[in-house]
Amino acid sequence: MNMIAIMGVMLAGSLAWTIWFLKKPLADNGVDLRQSNIDIAKQRKLELQRDLDQDLIDQEQFELALDEITTTLAVELEQQSVKTSNSENNTLSMLAIVVLLPIFSIGIYQSLSTYAPTSIITPVVDSKPLTLEQSVEKLKQHISDEPNDSEAWTMLGLSYFELDKVKESLEAYEKAYQLTPNNSKLLVEYASTLISVNDNQFSDRPVALIKQALEIDANAPDALYLAGMFAISMQDFTLAKGLWNKALSVLPEGGDDHQALLGLLDELRRAESGQVSNTVTVNVLLSDQILANRSAEEYLMIYVKAAKGRPMPIAIQKLKLRDFNGQIVLSDMNSVMPTKLLSEHDKVLVVARLSRTGGAMKQADDIQITSSVVNVSDNPNITLELQ
Amino acid sequence: MLIELGHFALVLALVFAFLQVALPTVGLLRGSFSLAQLSRPMLWAQFFWVLVAFVILTNAFIGDDFSVKYVANNSNTELPAIFKMSAVWGAHEGSLLLWALILSGWSVAVSVFSKRLPNEVLNHILIILGLISIGFLLFLLLTSNPFERLDIIPVQGRELNPLLQDFGLIIHPPMLYMGYVGLAVPFAFVLSSLIRGQLDSTWLRWSRPWTLIAWAFLTFGITLGSWWAYYELGWGGWWFWDPVENASFMPWLVATALVHSLSVSEKRGAFKHWTVLLAIAGFSLSLLGTFLVRSGILTSVHSFAADPERGLFILVFLVIVIGGSLALYAWRASLMRSSNSFSWLSKESGLLINNILLVAAMLSVFLGTMYPLLLDSLSLGKISVGAPYFDAVFVPIMIPAVIAMVIAPFLRWKKDTLSRVGALLKNVWLGVVVLFAISFYIVDNQFVLFAVFLFIWIVSHSLWLLVNRMRQKSRPNLAFIGMLFAHIGIAVFLLGATVTTQLGIEKDIKMEVGQSMTIKGYKFVFKGVDNFSHQNYQGHKGKVEIYYEGDLIAKLNPEKRQYVTGMPMTEAAIDPSLYRDLYVALGESLEGNAWSLRIYYKPLIRWIWLGGLFISFGALLAAFDRRYRLISKRSES
Repeated sequence: MNMIAIMGVMLAGSLAWTIWFLKKPLADNGVDLRQSNIDIAKQRKLELQRDLDQDLIDQEQFELALDEITTTLAVELEQQSVKTSNSENNTLSMLAIVVLLPIFSIGIYQSLSTYAPTSIITPVVDSKPLTLEQSVEKLKQHISDEPNDSEAWTMLGLSYFELDKVKESLEAYEKAYQLTPNNSKLLVEYASTLISVNDNQFSDRPVALIKQALEIDANAPDALYLAGMFAISMQDFTLAKGLWNKALSVLPEGGDDHQALLGLLDELRRAESGQVSNTVTVNVLLSDQILANRSAEEYLMIYVKAAKGRPMPIAIQKLKLRDFNGQIVLSDMNSVMPTKLLSEHDKVLVVARLSRTGGAMKQADDIQITSSVVNVSDNPNITLELQ
Repeated sequence: MLIELGHFALVLALVFAFLQVALPTVGLLRGSFSLAQLSRPMLWAQFFWVLVAFVILTNAFIGDDFSVKYVANNSNTELPAIFKMSAVWGAHEGSLLLWALILSGWSVAVSVFSKRLPNEVLNHILIILGLISIGFLLFLLLTSNPFERLDIIPVQGRELNPLLQDFGLIIHPPMLYMGYVGLAVPFAFVLSSLIRGQLDSTWLRWSRPWTLIAWAFLTFGITLGSWWAYYELGWGGWWFWDPVENASFMPWLVATALVHSLSVSEKRGAFKHWTVLLAIAGFSLSLLGTFLVRSGILTSVHSFAADPERGLFILVFLVIVIGGSLALYAWRASLMRSSNSFSWLSKESGLLINNILLVAAMLSVFLGTMYPLLLDSLSLGKISVGAPYFDAVFVPIMIPAVIAMVIAPFLRWKKDTLSRVGALLKNVWLGVVVLFAISFYIVDNQFVLFAVFLFIWIVSHSLWLLVNRMRQKSRPNLAFIGMLFAHIGIAVFLLGATVTTQLGIEKDIKMEVGQSMTIKGYKFVFKGVDNFSHQNYQGHKGKVEIYYEGDLIAKLNPEKRQYVTGMPMTEAAIDPSLYRDLYVALGESLEGNAWSLRIYYKPLIRWIWLGGLFISFGALLAAFDRRYRLISKRSES
């Protein structure tokens, strides 16, 4: 049974229920308001008598309270109940319900459902999670129907990026940009992707996009964050601080972004005050076998993790094998969490991993080597050999 | 497809809530019996569709349907099945759905078990409850749709907050919501009476058991929350005067006053103004609590400003509910005139003092909770109002209330004399003085001594009341026994809270494997740490052995967990008993084989929650008193 049919059944059941009780109303329970108040007054008098018997009140108080109960009842009995009649013709009411219930139900659903109206016709039958590839296919189908849907192009760009299809990702973002050049959120996302694919380097295009995003919305926190990163790359710490402080003022306190920015500002302060962070210098030797059998497009991930405690990286650098020159230096600037800097750790392990996918989790054909425990405070220089 | 059907079921629930209001209203105005009688069937249909929506959302969690944004944000495939179910109310949208379900559930209970209420009165009450349901269902559908789909479906969902992956959190929110939402029932009784212009004995009589049940759930919910915070947050505290806690405590204080005020109104027809205003205030504070917790204003007033949709909706709803109710109250105030007079020394005056003190206490909590938010939102600076403020303001207000609490039941209605009360209670007071004098030589902490005095004071008066009742050869009814339980519950709570706060010992120490520390004769020996992994987390499990007078009495395994999403969690290990808890939490790994540990000795801490249970149980007993039997039965005339 498809969704429309089930919704039809739900509506029909609802209508039948309503009309049934309109035609055959629930019987009156026979409790009259006047009688109810009289019953309660009688019970109160009984309770009062019990209080007198138990010496909880004296005779004078008993008489007074009895008077009050009688007076209260007299006032209550003056009040009139609403009179209803059951000899009535409800054809009009029934007609109104039959017409209005489905109209309201479907109307409200259509106006609220993000899947309406097409989703009702072609519902999502299988609600298992889609893979990224499936999502891309669905988006492409949607775009072929609605080629001017900028949001769909943006999502396609993001999906391609996740699939590591850089060229297609940038083309999709460019298309979205052509359709809605004044969408500051899109501009930031596009700029961010351009920076990512360019090994975190700020070229002219992303800088122009960030500038454009800030012209549209001077308080866009993402744009302010990226502008701050650009300022750092230009060694303009004062500008970066100003931009990030502005972003802080608009971000919700306590949120992840707010915390991350606070960490970055803290790091910036340390850098300005001349506090040099500790570093771990890692030399990685690649065996001839690896050089012969593995692609230069594979990823080399070098990271530091705590010798005891959380297995998550503290600081990491990830680069393609072709870009690796034999040595990298990990510092606070490579810390994963701005609030957990490399310098704050003591005993750590250094890991070098060669991976086809570059994913966070170790895969079956990844090659990995882990160092013995080193002290960060010693600014160690170690060598690892991948075989 | 199911998800869309869940969404549609919610829409149908809204339509039925609307019909629950519209059709009986038209029926009552036009005098049409069949339309007026539709309030119950429309309510039942509303409940059914909310239940369908709830079951579908639960199914989405169990089936890991990450195409649903709410599921993807709060569950993942690694989450144990039981927490997948409780994750349904682990965040905003699901909480609201649970709220709507409980509200319609309460309404159904009222419709089914109020067979002694005249149809006309019941229809009015269900119309008001329907209006509240409309507000919450609109809130759900317009701002907090739990069935929103994701355009790109993640392969894996996020983690349910590890703090919420706990048995306490499975039952704490539903119980608390039962209390919050339950206060909608006395509110609806009051409003329907104001609308009908009939503030008579019937609504007073039949709203009392519902108020007692709501109060019992609210007490139980708050008690569970306190117990959960104690063992789950890893700091050994049981109450933090946190705004979220205060948000539930304020309606509790007002509901406590309402329960007492209703008893005077019901038995003597007095305090109707108080009863009406307390019923309005109780539900309004429940809504305020929802606003505080759900608008994001507590995280930051700026987060409310940044995403005002939800907060604004509740704020508008709050203004309509409070404004509308108070307008109705003002319109009908003349109906509440009472000629019932009472002297300064009477049961009525005792209960009036109780009302005034409880409301004053609520206002002190309200000020401490709202004032910092107000200052911050007006950019007048940030201030922190914490335990010192509440200890200095709240506690002194409550002390006279606690002292007077056990005297009032001995007072006569209308008028009493000091000489009669003195003669009746002189033996009790003598006993209190003797016991207090003995305590004076045993206890050397002045705060604990005062708590012991209050404990003796409450328990001795309560027992004396029971003895007196037995002497009169009248069988105590459930309402009377319930009252005794609730009052003794306060005594148990007070003693537990004071003793654990004053005499508790807390040590944050570094321990090497094999090292030991002795607290109050208990020797804690650190035996090391093991690594372990579980379905959705891994971590370290500490091994601590506790010896008393040379005997091994407990082996504790505090845990430090690392959830798959990277969120760390401390899981304390506790050796509980009625006299004391021994509490160990594992801290950080230090150099060598040393670890930091938090070791707490908590005397009488269980009494805090035992007191809460006593109060809840007492309220439930009172609700099922013979006079309030809710089964259908013509009252014997």
